[in-house]
Amino acid sequence: MVKKRTPTPSHTVGPFFPARFFGEGDYDLTFVDDPAKRAQGQKIYIGGNIYEAERVPRWNCMVEIWQPDAGGCFNHPNDPRHSHADPNFMGWGRRSSDDAGWYDFVTVKPGGYTDPLTGFRRAPHIDVAIMSSGLMRRLVTTLFFPDEPANAEDPVFNAIPEADVRERLILKPAKLEGAPADATAYRLDIVLQGDGETPFFVD
Amino acid sequence: MTTPNFFEAYDEPSQPVIRIAQYRESLLRSPSRPPYKRPVTLTEITGPLNLARKLKTGMNDLSRVNNGARAMGQLIWVTGRLLDEDGMPVRGSVIELWQANAAGRYAHKADSQNPAPHDPNFLGSGRCLTDQEGRYAFLSIKPGAYPVPNHAARWWRPPHIHFSIFGEGFMSRLITQMYFPGEPLNAADLLLNAVPDEKGRERLVAKWIPMMQLERADAVGFEHDLVVRGHRATPMGF
Ligand SMILES: [Fe+3]
Repeated sequence: MVKKRTPTPSHTVGPFFPARFFGEGDYDLTFVDDPAKRAQGQKIYIGGNIYEAERVPRWNCMVEIWQPDAGGCFNHPNDPRHSHADPNFMGWGRRSSDDAGWYDFVTVKPGGYTDPLTGFRRAPHIDVAIMSSGLMRRLVTTLFFPDEPANAEDPVFNAIPEADVRERLILKPAKLEGAPADATAYRLDIVLQGDGETPFFVD
Repeated sequence: MTTPNFFEAYDEPSQPVIRIAQYRESLLRSPSRPPYKRPVTLTEITGPLNLARKLKTGMNDLSRVNNGARAMGQLIWVTGRLLDEDGMPVRGSVIELWQANAAGRYAHKADSQNPAPHDPNFLGSGRCLTDQEGRYAFLSIKPGAYPVPNHAARWWRPPHIHFSIFGEGFMSRLITQMYFPGEPLNAADLLLNAVPDEKGRERLVAKWIPMMQLERADAVGFEHDLVVRGHRATPMGF
């Protein structure tokens, strides 16, 4: 018999997460470790500001994302379709918000999928985790795409009953300076607290 | 790598409170609205399994920079196992850690107001993979305490090491800190004591390894197991 253990308590990441831990390729999900081998799918660029209370831009926030590949698969044994996953796509990225509070990622548009556990139809989406000094636990949320009919059915999107609040999780098409020429660019600001606060989920 | 296939909600008293009255950043950055409940789907129970392809590992020795001179301070050996909630080892998982130098200063631009000296022979950060038993090990220097000055309550952070842990799913991602046993500053630390449950706080304090049980005689040994969320048991209907 195995002994049941309780997870180690979470703590804040603090202000001193080493700068050298952010690798050049960590914010670009369109390749894993060989830039010559590119992930399949439509290249997208996502950027936005992170704000703390009173709309003060928050620098030095650690942002991580996790998403399925363009075909809606994860390279993970919990996904019954994992053998179909794109070998040149890992689905994970990490970025620190810069001095102006700006975060960004280059990735591919995720595919939707039918959840094997619940049978729910998931719309294309990207999971996001925010870690920062002051946050004893990480904050988690999910980003969705505009003009996706599947959003209407998505169980996570619809876990937020207020239409104007869940709207805050929809990426907005935008012209963004840092976007690669061949990428569709979207903006999504993340408000940790206050007016227009981003909805977060129970972790 | 075997994989946990479901996750439960955290046991609340074993996790820290979110708002700490005298820790100003916790008041400015925590959402004012409670989080929404959502169903857990495939995206949450999967995560990156080959992170070493993105994140370079093998950085286990923090006591020197590029095989140069030894950093100042007391040499420590920190080891332990990464386990899931069933006590099973989590193998091949990336563990990152970072800490202040012996004088209590970080090699980081955000630590600019700290009058404590830098140590040119100490970067204070390392990264490794867990082995087949889920074990990690680092050679380092005992971190110094440092003051947190810009708060309603000024206080000293006790010596501690920060850990960043991935596990096998996006829900098992964990950021935590390890404390040292017998440190008087532990009792007054606002962050350690934000964990309401005494057993939870004990889980953050490493155990001293008696010298006779340690293979090396040049470092004080500490054992510290880390537990991430996740079970391997199959839930009903999966
Ligand atoms: Fe610290």
